[in-house]
Amino acid sequence: MSKASVIYDKFDRHSHAQGLKGHATHYCPGCGHGLAHKFLAEAIDELGVQDRTVAISPVGCSVFLYYYFDVGNSQAAHGRASVVALGHKFANPDSVVVSYQGDGDLASIGLAETIATAQLGAPITVIFINNAIYGMTGGQMAPTTLMGQTATTCPTGRSQYNGQPMKMAEIIAGLDGPIYVERVALFDAKQRIKAKKAIRKALRNQVEGRGYSFIEVLAECPTHLKMSPEETEIWVKDFMEPVYPLGVKKDVAMEPWFHRNPPSFDGEKILQLAGASYAHPVRHCDGFPTHLAPADISLKLAGSGGDGAQTAAMLIARSGINEGFDATHIPSYGPESRGGTSYADVHVAEEEVLNPGSPDPQILIAFNAPSLAKFGPTVRKGGTVIYDCSVVSDVPLLDPSIKVFPVPFTGIATDLGKAVVKNIVALGALQAATGIFPKETFLDAIRVALKDKCALIPLNEEAFAWGIKSVEALRS
Amino acid sequence: MALKERPKPFLLPEYCKGCGRCIDACAKDCITAGHQINPLTGLVPVELDLTNCNACGLCMDACPEPYGLRPAHEGPIKKFELEDPAKLYGVKPSDAPEPQDVPSVVLPLPRTEPLVIKGTYASAIGAILAGCRHVYGYPITPSTEGAELMAKFLPKLDGTFLQAVSEVAAVNMMYGTAGAGLPTMTFTSSPGFSLMLEGVSYMIGSELPGVFVDVMRGGPGLGNIAPEQSDIKLACHGLGHGNTQALVLAPSTPQEMLDLTILAFELSFKYRNPVVILSDGYLGQMTGKVQLPETLLKPGVPKWAVYGDALHRKNLISSIFLTETDLEAHNVHLNAKYEAMKVEVRSESFRCEDADVILIACNTPARTAKGAVQELRHQGIKAGLFRPITLWPFPIEALKTALQGTERLVVVEASAGQLENEVRLALSKAGVRDYPEIESVRRMGGILPQQDEILAQVLGKKEVLA
Repeated sequence: MSKASVIYDKFDRHSHAQGLKGHATHYCPGCGHGLAHKFLAEAIDELGVQDRTVAISPVGCSVFLYYYFDVGNSQAAHGRASVVALGHKFANPDSVVVSYQGDGDLASIGLAETIATAQLGAPITVIFINNAIYGMTGGQMAPTTLMGQTATTCPTGRSQYNGQPMKMAEIIAGLDGPIYVERVALFDAKQRIKAKKAIRKALRNQVEGRGYSFIEVLAECPTHLKMSPEETEIWVKDFMEPVYPLGVKKDVAMEPWFHRNPPSFDGEKILQLAGASYAHPVRHCDGFPTHLAPADISLKLAGSGGDGAQTAAMLIARSGINEGFDATHIPSYGPESRGGTSYADVHVAEEEVLNPGSPDPQILIAFNAPSLAKFGPTVRKGGTVIYDCSVVSDVPLLDPSIKVFPVPFTGIATDLGKAVVKNIVALGALQAATGIFPKETFLDAIRVALKDKCALIPLNEEAFAWGIKSVEALRS
Repeated sequence: MALKERPKPFLLPEYCKGCGRCIDACAKDCITAGHQINPLTGLVPVELDLTNCNACGLCMDACPEPYGLRPAHEGPIKKFELEDPAKLYGVKPSDAPEPQDVPSVVLPLPRTEPLVIKGTYASAIGAILAGCRHVYGYPITPSTEGAELMAKFLPKLDGTFLQAVSEVAAVNMMYGTAGAGLPTMTFTSSPGFSLMLEGVSYMIGSELPGVFVDVMRGGPGLGNIAPEQSDIKLACHGLGHGNTQALVLAPSTPQEMLDLTILAFELSFKYRNPVVILSDGYLGQMTGKVQLPETLLKPGVPKWAVYGDALHRKNLISSIFLTETDLEAHNVHLNAKYEAMKVEVRSESFRCEDADVILIACNTPARTAKGAVQELRHQGIKAGLFRPITLWPFPIEALKTALQGTERLVVVEASAGQLENEVRLALSKAGVRDYPEIESVRRMGGILPQQDEILAQVLGKKEVLA
């Protein structure tokens, strides 16, 4: 009733408070927004949360909410007020965030944001002003326009071709996220008292950390309904209320649950999460493996998703970096999550990897026949091809200068009891076939990668050893 | 002696719009529709005759205007005291304090061995070290790993990762958190970045910081998920509607993904403006060596923020300037800021000093071009690489220096000339008229230019040099 202290003493943001604008709203005579503003301001006042309140102004007639509320104010893009509210709420969980939106904003352009925010259920307060018309743009059809009601974009009245009115309170109440949903009106003293109470409760739910509340307010727009304010009140009562029944749509007793600790800036903890190591890796190389290339070795690992090509590639890159070289690994997947193609380009360079792609690798590890057929012919002269002879029977014609090592990755891994270690068999074979790094370099990298699954280390070591043995057997 | 009683209504006629909502609310018929036009407003205010008023207050509840029907007094009435009505019925001035900065704190970070991580992870860890604890995103290949890492790490640091309903929602969550004055970011890829542009324009208009990591992929439309430098034009000249610009950083290694992400947060707060990191599909996915810095940042709350506390109550985050002159002034201010950003230009000139042929490239193609430069040098051709690290503003002075004495200029890019256009625009704006004809090595569709293609372009025209 009295002007709450939450309303600015002077509306400086309203055309620089020129003339009467310092104390008069920008709303048309009889508009429902002013009442909703007053009830919200009173609720903020009564709950003593003025300093903590952040009001999100939408796009629509209430775009200038920030003219009036002496609280933190943020003005959102059309339809996005509820997610802007979430951004504020999670930035400062102690803030009290109110998303105040009209029907075009909330129920049309921002529908996805509205529903998703409601379902998220974080304690914010949404005040939804439903006046069945677009006000600011000048009387166009709203998602809430009644059937048969005329608007400038449905001049002969809303028909089936314009779709049905959106009953937002019912839609929101049908979700699991919200705890309190009520539809109220402003057309008589009784309804106004209810509206005021509902808004206060919706705000209190947030202050107490209980959850998301949604208040739909049936409001009057005399200007675009082309009626007097009094007629508009009657229209809301007689025509809107039957379509949008008033009352509590959902009210769940919820214990306060929303509590968030202040974020941590503990450097040690961040380093631990990032997997950073203080231990200087032991180097086993005497120098860059120049017997393979003077400064940059190009590898390709190719197979199907699940073959472990990417893990093996990562282990090669890690080994190179542990030895003090530069290394890169680029994965390339097919669109399938499993079972599609999976290629990895790896480079190890003495100083700096310049070309991270491997269109013409020196070393190819092929886990299946299509990979060998596709990439075998791209291997450089004098290069090395290692393939899984458990699954590949047809070997394409390769340049005679290429050294070829058929190794039964799958067979060995299956004999060891775990087919997934076939990529480690392949790494063993790579080590023996090329001598790119000493055995210990690979084993260190494998052990680090498995530091959280220590039980698997012996199996992987064995797989690696078998890969080496297979190549040695081919040589003898 | 003071009397305690319920207040009766009071009305200054100039604050009444004459809607008459109070008339019905009064059971005692004290309020009637007015007959006289108020000369100040041109409206017809209601008329009050409070003879029968029982101070029920319902008329005041019915009045939509905050300065319309108000209680005639609150608290005890002092009898026989004349007071200025404006003072009596006036308002409490706002007690909101002048907003202040809550300063950021730089904390030491112990030295560790380099990480071996992919580009998106490097960027995510960079963001965490830059103090970002609020990340919003929507999954899109090939950027998703950044969001996934944040979803894993942030809860352990009591931070927030929310998977938004769309990119549109994600950028507006950023708008909220940035409005509260905290560092926030997202990972996205080309189609997702397109969707975010509305929000980017709002952030620029409202002068909000925020970091966008766009792991560019092949386009237009859905295109594919392979690397393309498809969004240079968008980031440098198309950040949504209106007079928008943002610093655009182009890393070319996983290490730079980390370093430039940290830098992006710093610049973003320095200028109160979003910063875009243009990565490419290769770089996002590429695993490499990444050395962590020796400090991390615990962010404060800047004085302009709407944090939701007493210290920042006075503030407003908005891009609305209804008066044309105000909006023009705002744009003049933004332009001055864009101009000031020009000191942030960064670039790398590799063997440009004596170069006859200069290659220009950024992101992953710059690595390939560097390889080509070395190969060309082996073959006795004086080649160099100019790599812009800021694509906007373009490092034109450094390019001018690199171009001195150059006979050929080859732009190497995974796009249909978007980088070349930046080069041309920068040269044109700097008034450089005398430069070699621009040659190009371009691939698109998710294919990056290869070293042999660069060599073919340069060597194919070898005779020109002779």
